[in-house]
Amino acid sequence: MVKAVTMPKLGQSEETVKIVKWRKQVGDAVAKGEIILEIETDKAVLEVESFFAGTLLKVVAGEGVTVPVQTTVAFIGDPGEAVPDVAPSTTPAATHGPKHESMGPLTRPSPDGHPLPLEREKGLSPLPAERVVPSGGDRVRGSVTSQSSNEGSFQPSASPEVFRISPRALKLAKESAIDPTQIAGTGPGGRIVERDVRDYLEAHGYNRLRITPTAKKLAAREGIDLLSLAGKANGNQITVADIERIVSERPKPLAHIRQIIARRLTESYTHAPHFFVTVSADITEVEALRATLKAQGTAYTVSDFIVKAAAMALEEFPIVNSVSDGEAVRAHSSIDLGLAVALEQGLVVPVIRHANELTLAEIHLRAQDLTARARSGRLMPDEMTCSTFTISNMGMLDVENFTAIINPGESAILAVSSGAKQPVVKNDQVVVRTMMKMTLSSDHRLIDGALAARFLNSIRKHFEEISLWQRLT
Amino acid sequence: MAAFDLVVIGAGPGGYPAAIRAAQMGASVAIVEKEELGGTCLNWGCIPTKTLIASSELLERIKSAESMGLRVSGASFDYAAMADRKDQVVQKLRNGVKQLLKANGVTVFQGCASYQTRNRIQVESNGASALLTAGKSIIATGTASAMPGFLPRHERIVESRGFLRLRALPATTLILGGGIIGCEFACMLAQLGVKVTMVELLEDIIATIDADVRRELRRHMEKDLGIRILTGVTLEEIAADDRGVRGRAGQETLEADLLLVALGRRPVLDGLKLENAGLAPNARGFLDVDAYDRTRVATVYAVGDITGGPLLAHLATSQGIVAAENACGSYLHKNETVVPNCIFTTPEIGTVGLSEQEAQQQGRKIKTGKYLFGALGKALAIGEPHGFVKWVADAETDQLLGAHAVGPHATDIIAEAGVAIRAELTASDLAHTIHAHPTLAEAWMEAAHALIGEPIHSAPPRKPS
Ligand SMILES: Cc1cc2nc3c(=O)[nH]c(=O)nc-3n(C[C@H](O)[C@H](O)[C@H](O)COP(=O)(O)OP(=O)(O)OC[C@H]3O[C@@H](n4cnc5c(N)ncnc54)[C@H](O)[C@@H]3O)c2cc1C
Repeated sequence: MVKAVTMPKLGQSEETVKIVKWRKQVGDAVAKGEIILEIETDKAVLEVESFFAGTLLKVVAGEGVTVPVQTTVAFIGDPGEAVPDVAPSTTPAATHGPKHESMGPLTRPSPDGHPLPLEREKGLSPLPAERVVPSGGDRVRGSVTSQSSNEGSFQPSASPEVFRISPRALKLAKESAIDPTQIAGTGPGGRIVERDVRDYLEAHGYNRLRITPTAKKLAAREGIDLLSLAGKANGNQITVADIERIVSERPKPLAHIRQIIARRLTESYTHAPHFFVTVSADITEVEALRATLKAQGTAYTVSDFIVKAAAMALEEFPIVNSVSDGEAVRAHSSIDLGLAVALEQGLVVPVIRHANELTLAEIHLRAQDLTARARSGRLMPDEMTCSTFTISNMGMLDVENFTAIINPGESAILAVSSGAKQPVVKNDQVVVRTMMKMTLSSDHRLIDGALAARFLNSIRKHFEEISLWQRLT
Repeated sequence: MAAFDLVVIGAGPGGYPAAIRAAQMGASVAIVEKEELGGTCLNWGCIPTKTLIASSELLERIKSAESMGLRVSGASFDYAAMADRKDQVVQKLRNGVKQLLKANGVTVFQGCASYQTRNRIQVESNGASALLTAGKSIIATGTASAMPGFLPRHERIVESRGFLRLRALPATTLILGGGIIGCEFACMLAQLGVKVTMVELLEDIIATIDADVRRELRRHMEKDLGIRILTGVTLEEIAADDRGVRGRAGQETLEADLLLVALGRRPVLDGLKLENAGLAPNARGFLDVDAYDRTRVATVYAVGDITGGPLLAHLATSQGIVAAENACGSYLHKNETVVPNCIFTTPEIGTVGLSEQEAQQQGRKIKTGKYLFGALGKALAIGEPHGFVKWVADAETDQLLGAHAVGPHATDIIAEAGVAIRAELTASDLAHTIHAHPTLAEAWMEAAHALIGEPIHSAPPRKPS
């Protein structure tokens, strides 16, 4: 029996989803639970599994197409079965974005054990309700949508009233791989006739160009104006390699998700005046404790300790757990810590909700689960939004110090660098200690230097306080 | 101490053209050769083998003259006379190289070269030695036959160079290795009445060439020339004595008068003291060079077989000229990448560019067009209606990417395909180029017609139903 594959609803905030890639082609056998397509939301690229076994009979919405959730995107059934005639229901790509009011059951099982995302107050808030953390890019395969291949095309795009050319002239221009919009027409009403093209070619030294036949054909197909190539070839004639080089150097659209990251981080960095405060934490004892705990069976990470220390500091300094647009300030009612996870192709920021209410062991388990699922690309969009403070730990990447850009919707971010043994003066003695730099980026509209310094030192103090950890573990 | 702008080490088809080109560009040039001018190709490779093959093929043609209405009786051969002719041809060409080097003002040093530093090269011969300073140097020391240690040392076990010294033919020959050299010798010997058995470890002979072409060659070697070809087996327990050579292939014991070893070539770097120039061979024993023939040391270039690419004389020459121009000129030139490969078996084979299999491995979408010599007027007229030509083209642009010919004069007609591919012609350019009639080269045009779906002299493409 033919079954419709519908676009799963991915959480509370997604109305539309873009199809990135069909992993299965029409005619392919599909097993139950097998990944059939990759989709992209504002925050992540995800894989969609089939709920049925059978043969992929028809794909209704192709790659690069944005569709509303819960619409039919394909049919699965037995080979040869008749498929209902369904028109692809697409929506303009611009309708992306969380819509908080649409609630409904998840068609995909919610990952076990994670608290449901909080509905945030947004009523009269002057702040943008939509807040996206810089995430994703992680599973993006470089499939560029079809509009990119027309980039730089000289096919006349102007309306016919403005651009008039005879069919023969257009054919000649196309065959010669030149841009006819540059040609002045001498025909009636400024129409370009074949003679005009010939004169133009002559006047621009077209006949002196040396180009191989395939290169010319390729240039015509790719819409590259050969006249713009004069003198730019690598050898003494224009070859396929030259055309391929130009094609490969053309700007290609970033993955949707990267465009969002770009837009939001630029917005944050230009709107929020950032300033930076750095401290060095002595992690010698925490490291020793971590080793002991590991020997006892739990491999806590440095991040686990920092999340807890930061959550405690945020309780002491609620203003840091707030956000401002320069006119109003909104305090977040819970402490939800974003944890930047570096993946090969990008960054995702899963959120540990109510971090202040969790024990170190709970933080450890939560972080471990989120990180693991981030690495396998199996985070739900809701698990990557609405953090109130973010920690970016590059400790494993051997860096001395760095600064981070504040996530939109937050007021500060903590950049944690690598621990390293260093000579340190303690009680007027030079001793070897393991030191780790932490740099806080703050939004100066809300946070002043003194506050940042006290907040950051509070994190450091908690972090270094070994008796605290002995109590908590 | 003699000082030169450029010292070339090795006077094979890589080295001597490099020396000539550099001298023409105004450099003071020395070339060092420890054996004979002309290197492997001229003395123990391309030239002597092709001279012998010309004789054996002519004999074969004469024997089949009856089919063309000729009556020739008692055709026979004198191998010693064939070998003499070969030596004369070699001698003549060797003298030619000597004259050319002289005419271009290249100083020739006879002896073995070694580096003292990257700019100082010592030449030794019979106890005498000379020291040269070299602004730059080109290593063109080539390859020699690989003779693995498991082979007993015996006069009945020879490699190609040893074989070319023989003055008489064995009645039976075992050939170890089904590569190009092994197959060329196999065809020649079979045509001269030698009973040939060939043993190849891989699943097929000349595994590097297009599968269609390979199939055609193998069929011919086995059916028409009566060569026994064993593939996918190793020859073990090889022994030789006064009565002959023996080896075991699987269950079977093979015996012959002679064992010809054709197991590939090993790089020649011994005695060169590369380390004094700051260089070391790669894991395979060859020298790594970039697209401009530069080694890792700024003043040292390498060309030809020693760079580990396809072992072909014309590639060595092309590289030699590029390296000389790069060493002596102010602009860098890249190596040519369109390299034809000719195999002088019966039938002959010529290939250039991508094979179907290579194109598929690169993930390219391709089209092919094939034309059989059996349908070509000229091939029928000369009584050689065997084999085919085949184009491989890009499916989207129709750019000609590869050409493969097996059949009469395949090694000559491949030249056109090389020009077409290097010039980036499309299949329709080639199809619309007028080819003289009746010629073998028409096959390229016909195959191009087939490729673009407009065949004149072959069946039209089947319409999709
Ligand atoms: C049987 C046979 C048949 C072949 N048939 C063909 C064919 O039909 N077509 C084709 O294209 N190719 C053919 N080849 C391959 C071709 O011969 C080689 O590719 C070509 O000779 C390589 O040229 P080269 O200059 O790199 O090296 P070589 O020709 O090997 O020349 C290297 C020279 O350097 C000299 N030398 C080495 N070390 C030193 C040193 N330290 N000091 C001084 N001199 C030194 C050597 O004595 C030698 O003369 C054949 C090879 C063989 C063995």
